[in-house]
Amino acid sequence: MQDRYPDPETFSVGVLYKCLGKRLSLDNITDTRGYDRMVVSPDISRPGLCLSGYTYKFMHDRIQIFGDTEIALLNQLSQSERITAVANVYDFPVVCSIVTKGLSPPDELVSAARKTDTALFLSPEDTTPLIHELTDFLGEVFASHVSLHGTLVDVYGEGLLVMGRSAIGKSEAVLGLVERGHRLVADDLVRVRRAVNRLIGTGDSLIGFHMEIRGIGFVSIAELFGVGATKELQSVDLVVRLLDADIVDEADRSGLEEKHMTIMGVDVPMVEIPVLPGRNITLLLEVAAMMNIQAKDTGCTSAERLNRKLIARMGRKRLRDKYDGRDGNCSQ
Amino acid sequence: MTEEMVTVPNKLGIHARPAALIVRAAVEFDCDIWVKSPADKVNAKSIMGVMTLAASGGTAVTVSADGKEEREAVDAVVEIIKSGFGEEMI
Repeated sequence: MQDRYPDPETFSVGVLYKCLGKRLSLDNITDTRGYDRMVVSPDISRPGLCLSGYTYKFMHDRIQIFGDTEIALLNQLSQSERITAVANVYDFPVVCSIVTKGLSPPDELVSAARKTDTALFLSPEDTTPLIHELTDFLGEVFASHVSLHGTLVDVYGEGLLVMGRSAIGKSEAVLGLVERGHRLVADDLVRVRRAVNRLIGTGDSLIGFHMEIRGIGFVSIAELFGVGATKELQSVDLVVRLLDADIVDEADRSGLEEKHMTIMGVDVPMVEIPVLPGRNITLLLEVAAMMNIQAKDTGCTSAERLNRKLIARMGRKRLRDKYDGRDGNCSQ
Repeated sequence: MTEEMVTVPNKLGIHARPAALIVRAAVEFDCDIWVKSPADKVNAKSIMGVMTLAASGGTAVTVSADGKEEREAVDAVVEIIKSGFGEEMI
């Protein structure tokens, strides 16, 4: 499956430049040298220690960031010392290097990169923001992921992952949500990544924002409803399972019982909606999203609040009965 | 018409979860089923109705049914109430 992030298997320096070149304003001063080297780690390295001669545990398989510190260190050395310092780093097969803050790299650094066929990028961005941007991106690329059969839609900012057997009506229900102004993230196939304790869903770049609606065919949501109807990335906040009405257990009519689905080790709240002819599933999905938002805001569900009120009322009634001399049986 | 009186045995009484259990037992039958407190009589197949009784622990309620399999229906609902819904008893 192709998706909006490059495949870690084929994630080379060239791919990195293609993805981040603009975002990080990377200036490529070594042409396409070293573009075929693979980026294998989501981490970055500051090569200061290595430049100064301490090469033990040097992380050469990471992207090297030359910031103020590194360039200042090089600039205060004599030319021959500088050549040695740079060689300390470039004796290793480093992935690629980025010189930040618009600093000009010493000639020795540039020639070492050229000689070893390693990519050297310049960026006007400050070091720390650049590192954040870069590691965010690398983290997403290297995050573990699963592909799920379902439809992901943003409803008032809440990510609803709609699941259920084929032809139960997931796409139609979500199409209804889009028509009401909510945003489609992915239809039919959702790629979910785990980012610490959150799940981030995205779609396949080939499928884009197309939906397959039985009887109509492929519908381009972005073209038909505009860019406001689509979204690239969305956290997965609630799983909604659409079920055939005849296999649904009547056990939970109150909504007191909280259900979860575990995806990649993360527990996501789940609701199960029996699909019956005449039920407005779109409306139910919207309400489920709103209730999940409310539950998060208030710390408890509306079922729990109602139940607390009921239990309090029973308590008051019991007290009143006690003083009335009646035992249990009572009027309001 | 079949009737049976039963005392709500659990501490919290018929709150939302027990109400859902009563409804779950009741919908299995085709006959009409009611739960009655001295104040109110409600449809045992309606979760909101059963909650509205606000029958606390120790309250005596009457389960009645009319129609097909009324005896079985009353037994089923009475049994679920007697069980205390798997909760702490008085």
